[in-house]
Amino acid sequence: MLPEPYQRAVIAIVVAVVLCLPVFSGDYFLHLMNLSLIAVIGAIGINLLTGYCGQLSLGQASFMAIGAFSTAILAQRYGMPFFVAIPASCCAGAAVGFLVGLPALRFRGIYLAITTLAMHYAIIYVLTNYQAIVGPSASAGITVPPPSIEGFKLTSERGWYYALLIAAAAVLMFSLNLARSYIGRAWVAIRDRDIAAETAGVNVPRYKLLAFTISAALAALAGSLGAYFTTVVTVEEYTLELAIIYLAMIIVGGMGSVVGSVFGAVFITLLPFAVQRAFDALPWHFGTGIFGVQEAAIGAAIIGFLLLEPDGLIEIYRRIATYFERWPFRYREIKPSGAR
Amino acid sequence: MELLVSILALGSTYALLAAGIVIIYKASRVINFAHGELAIVGAYVFHSAGFLTGTTLTALSLFTAIVVAATASALFGVVIYFALMRRLLGRPTFVAAMVTIGLAIILKAAIVVIWNSRSVGIPIGRQALYNFAGGGRISWIDVISVLTCAAAFAALAIFFQLTRLGRQFRGAAENPLLAAQRQVNINLILAIAWSVAVFSAALAGVLFGSRSMLSPQSTIIGLSGLTAALVGGLDSLRGAAIGGLLVAAATYLTARLISPTLAETVPFLILLIVMSWRPWGLFGTVEEINRV
Amino acid sequence: MSEAASAAPLLNVRQLEVVYHDVATAIQGVSIEVAPGSIVAMIGSNGAGKTTTLRAVSGFLPAEDVAVTDGEILFAGQSLRGLLPHQISRRGVVLVPEREKLFHTLTVRENLDFSVTSRRYAIRNSVFDYFPRLAERQKQVAGYLSGGEKQMLAIGMALVCEPKLLLIDELSLGLAPIVTNEIMEILRTINQSLGLTMLIVEQNVAAALRIASFGYVLENGRVVFKGEADRLLSHQDMREFYLGDGRTGSYRNIRQYTRKRRWWG
Repeated sequence: MLPEPYQRAVIAIVVAVVLCLPVFSGDYFLHLMNLSLIAVIGAIGINLLTGYCGQLSLGQASFMAIGAFSTAILAQRYGMPFFVAIPASCCAGAAVGFLVGLPALRFRGIYLAITTLAMHYAIIYVLTNYQAIVGPSASAGITVPPPSIEGFKLTSERGWYYALLIAAAAVLMFSLNLARSYIGRAWVAIRDRDIAAETAGVNVPRYKLLAFTISAALAALAGSLGAYFTTVVTVEEYTLELAIIYLAMIIVGGMGSVVGSVFGAVFITLLPFAVQRAFDALPWHFGTGIFGVQEAAIGAAIIGFLLLEPDGLIEIYRRIATYFERWPFRYREIKPSGAR
Repeated sequence: MELLVSILALGSTYALLAAGIVIIYKASRVINFAHGELAIVGAYVFHSAGFLTGTTLTALSLFTAIVVAATASALFGVVIYFALMRRLLGRPTFVAAMVTIGLAIILKAAIVVIWNSRSVGIPIGRQALYNFAGGGRISWIDVISVLTCAAAFAALAIFFQLTRLGRQFRGAAENPLLAAQRQVNINLILAIAWSVAVFSAALAGVLFGSRSMLSPQSTIIGLSGLTAALVGGLDSLRGAAIGGLLVAAATYLTARLISPTLAETVPFLILLIVMSWRPWGLFGTVEEINRV
Repeated sequence: MSEAASAAPLLNVRQLEVVYHDVATAIQGVSIEVAPGSIVAMIGSNGAGKTTTLRAVSGFLPAEDVAVTDGEILFAGQSLRGLLPHQISRRGVVLVPEREKLFHTLTVRENLDFSVTSRRYAIRNSVFDYFPRLAERQKQVAGYLSGGEKQMLAIGMALVCEPKLLLIDELSLGLAPIVTNEIMEILRTINQSLGLTMLIVEQNVAAALRIASFGYVLENGRVVFKGEADRLLSHQDMREFYLGDGRTGSYRNIRQYTRKRRWWG
């Protein structure tokens, strides 16, 4: 899997840095890292569906909402422990993903996106009504108790960091293997030319549904973890903008690359905070306008990457790695392509 | 009767929005997701230009506002094309659609930053033209909306069917490389398309702002415009007009007869129904929507 | 082996090199000359680089991440490299592409009117004289025409652009031989009556060499053979490899054939 010694060295350094991070950083930074880790899981989910399988979906936010609400209901109303609530939420997400995938089988491209958009609104409408009925007031949302085993509660940023690290690493390994397997190749074939994939023997409807199911399950996982992390679930956070932000993550990181999703998720999560820091350093005062600038930054990131580096951050990384790998030659060998 | 007038007025706004989306789709097969934002920003520009010198809208300031908004929107369309869309020629169309989503985000943020998310209204034509016995009324602005929309559609129809440039539009939409080979300057065509589309969006935005308050949330009308365009058929102007009226009617009737909150979801319900039953819309060209 | 006419060539491609995606060299060192008023054929098997040459001349390659990395393309003495497709087309170099050669959603009449200006009505009408079948179907939507009619319409559209050099890419693809011959004859008529220079790319070697005066044979991105059409038609190697006039017979002859083939390609 990692033929070159330099690649092993890089991995070792990265792992060391990631594990020791809490030692050097304060709670604020760790909080940001935790948000990024949750985003990583969601980003990998949408990348499997849109980047690998080519199904442009705007339903990411609704799947996350399903996961969050399932966790909230199970944990708060029924008192289920987290190791029951989280897998159950993933299953709920998978089920909904499957249902959304069914009508989506008929379309491609922009019509598919619009179909998923319509389903997003349907799901959010249902959840809004549920929240209105169940919550203490219409938009106060549902509170979620922190996950606990035997009385040990997970509340510190540091504790969350390691827990989320384990979750994200597990999802990463799972997805990398998935991408490398027959399923991953089938997805790429569907993305590139689904009619040809079908004639080559790929059961296109089955794999499209599988993509929707797995992607929704991962999104639900992210939503569920987010619910535990922020301890409050409101349907208002799961907007269409959130789905677009996740698409921005994979555009920036690299569509069709699991590792790229990690880059993109971290980049987009940290971007608003970086913008705020940058503007704090400026002499004049922005007031509430800063939110506008943060939003604009995400829009600018989408446009910038699509125009200038459509293959995302992962491509920049690959170019640098290739340069060093192949120096002093100019071209690298053409490897038989899989999912890039 | 008043219901009918309200539906017509709202419908003409949606129809204008849909027409802008159709023009861009006809020229380049790109769905412009930023159309609502373009409309509202245009309306804000109109408002600011009109109220630049005072707090009331005089004939002079109205004239200034019209000129400023018209030229700004037309120019902005050209700028959008040359700065963004031109570099995406030859790439799959969903990439361009994503870029328009990015543009929508930036425009919405611009409203927050430049105008501080203030809610404003455009007070033109509010006087009543005719008062009904039951308390409803038709104002000048309703009539202006419908007439403007009708005039715009007539102009566009003549352009696409009868002029050579309109023919080149349709050819360039289908096969840009071939059109380029047949001596059509694709850049010119697409720049005109974007210019006209943004202009019509601003026009729709101003008409909308004359009847409702403008705020950053108003950009949601873009979704109604998109729904209207899809219902009518993405490459059919006739469909845009009919689609606009249908969506307006459905939204209005749901708000009045069932519940106002459900009325917000009406465009999406219509989307779902149209996508399942007839995805290319009522009048669109039956294209390869790709069924599995 | 003499070149075509002594007058300066209308199209002069010198040592052209085209590279796909920074990686694969599609054409290397191809030189083609097209004399004014003549019909020149480019023949060769699949992947030889014929279509790529035409697309290089008409300026389409940058749209697909393909670059002309070396060589010159001179039309009437002026370089075409770096120009946009519509600029090249306005200079008089008009391409009839292999696929996607007309606007399927427009009618026949609208397709022909696409590039028409007040000056070009005469030539637009003459298209109906050359292709009577199109005159019968003026109001029909182009997507519903038969293959042969589509090809005729595509050539007609190109004629309306007042070309000085017509590039035709594989017109015989998907057409019955009788239709191919019919169109080829019409092309010969057009060439004789208008004096229109043509460069045609063809896999149907016999049909191409029947109307062409000069031919180039491409193989793997290089010109391996060139000559006047009747020389090519009667040349032994050409007959074996392209015209299907191989010998019948014994195993010894077949071995000779394969040995030659290996040396050739």
